[in-house]
Amino acid sequence: MKIVGLESLVFGVDDIGGAARFLVDYGLTPVELSDRGGRFEAMDGTAVVIARQDDPALPPGPVPGCRLRKTVMGVADEATLGAIAAELRRDREVRRLPDGSIESIDDAGFVLGFQLTARRPFVLAGEISNAPGGVVFRPVNSLGVPPPGSVIRPRSLSHVVYFVPDVVKAEAFYVNRLGFRCTDRFTGTGPFLQPGGSLDHHTHFLIGAPPHMHGVEHFTFHFGGPSEMITNGYRFVEKGYQAFWGPGRHILGSNWFWYFNSPFGCHIEMDADMDQHDASWRPREATASADNSQTFLLKMRKKWYPGPGIPENGDYA
Amino acid sequence: MATTRDGAPPGWVRLCRSDEIGEAQSRGFDPGDEGQDRLFVVRWQGQLHAWRNACPHVQGAPMAWRRDAYLNAAGTRIVCHAHGAEFMPDSGLCVQGPCRGERLSPIALVVDADGELFVKS
Repeated sequence: MKIVGLESLVFGVDDIGGAARFLVDYGLTPVELSDRGGRFEAMDGTAVVIARQDDPALPPGPVPGCRLRKTVMGVADEATLGAIAAELRRDREVRRLPDGSIESIDDAGFVLGFQLTARRPFVLAGEISNAPGGVVFRPVNSLGVPPPGSVIRPRSLSHVVYFVPDVVKAEAFYVNRLGFRCTDRFTGTGPFLQPGGSLDHHTHFLIGAPPHMHGVEHFTFHFGGPSEMITNGYRFVEKGYQAFWGPGRHILGSNWFWYFNSPFGCHIEMDADMDQHDASWRPREATASADNSQTFLLKMRKKWYPGPGIPENGDYA
Repeated sequence: MATTRDGAPPGWVRLCRSDEIGEAQSRGFDPGDEGQDRLFVVRWQGQLHAWRNACPHVQGAPMAWRRDAYLNAAGTRIVCHAHGAEFMPDSGLCVQGPCRGERLSPIALVVDADGELFVKS
């Protein structure tokens, strides 16, 4: 099944204005914005959609309190859409919506949508590192650090992470019914999952958790590279948003990360430079400790050489 | 409590004027200049309450989604914007989410005769 990845995530919120400002400050572009909600797109058109939490058009979340109301995946062709519908109709309702998409539910209670992907292809070089002996270099006189005031935009909706009460059952649904592959696994926690039409290390990660945790841990968009992503993160912090973890780089998937609190009842991440794998990749397995999750974690310092403003005993405490 | 507008008695730290925090509003404070708010104050049904900015569901998890934004839109619950835990503003009891039944850590506060708000440092 050629599922190419996430197309959009739909949230029900209690403050449309606050959530909209948050997403714009994150870097997404608002379209169709009103006091009832809106759609906020990355460069390729993948998006976060928000609506009022009491909007009757929203499907229910998996549990009360979970603000994610629908996860929409893109597929490459009508054949895949038909194959998904036929497969899921074996044991559950599949609705065909007026826009041509289909809607059903996974085995953990998350409402799913599937549509022909509307991703807009674009070509824009990602971050390039200059290295002695390298093959690809940045153009001479171009700068590695995004200059102040430069526009930084998320490129594409990357992945979503679910807390699920039965991770074995949840994984089986995505692998056996929708053709996802496990790329790597945290022992006793859950799998990183890749759909058949993507090379990304993961578009889904499942975390086995007690029923009262059922919901979303985080979601994230890909940025053009670590320098761009971390610059965007610092701008986000300066606007008053609350960082949780990062900036750093994961081990499984190699993606650079920076996590923030959000008005969606879960974390939001900024990520960059995730590994790509094909079917020849052999999944690794590791315990989900902090040491196995961050290969390094960066810290800003305000002063880096002695001079005016440095306390008598230095700035190294 | 004997103090002046500019100073605080030993063991207490001045945060702000108490009337700067309106009904159903919250505000974070970083009295130690640690770079992240250590505590926040909410006014709920007229009374001020101070809580450590640390959700019990993950050790030390900061709770606001934006500076001073610790409450839901209606101002009726403290919300941890990491994983959605909801707390009563007056008792700190978690009533929904990943740490249901647990409580936020309270911080002693006092308002002096001039209306200045202090917390235990």
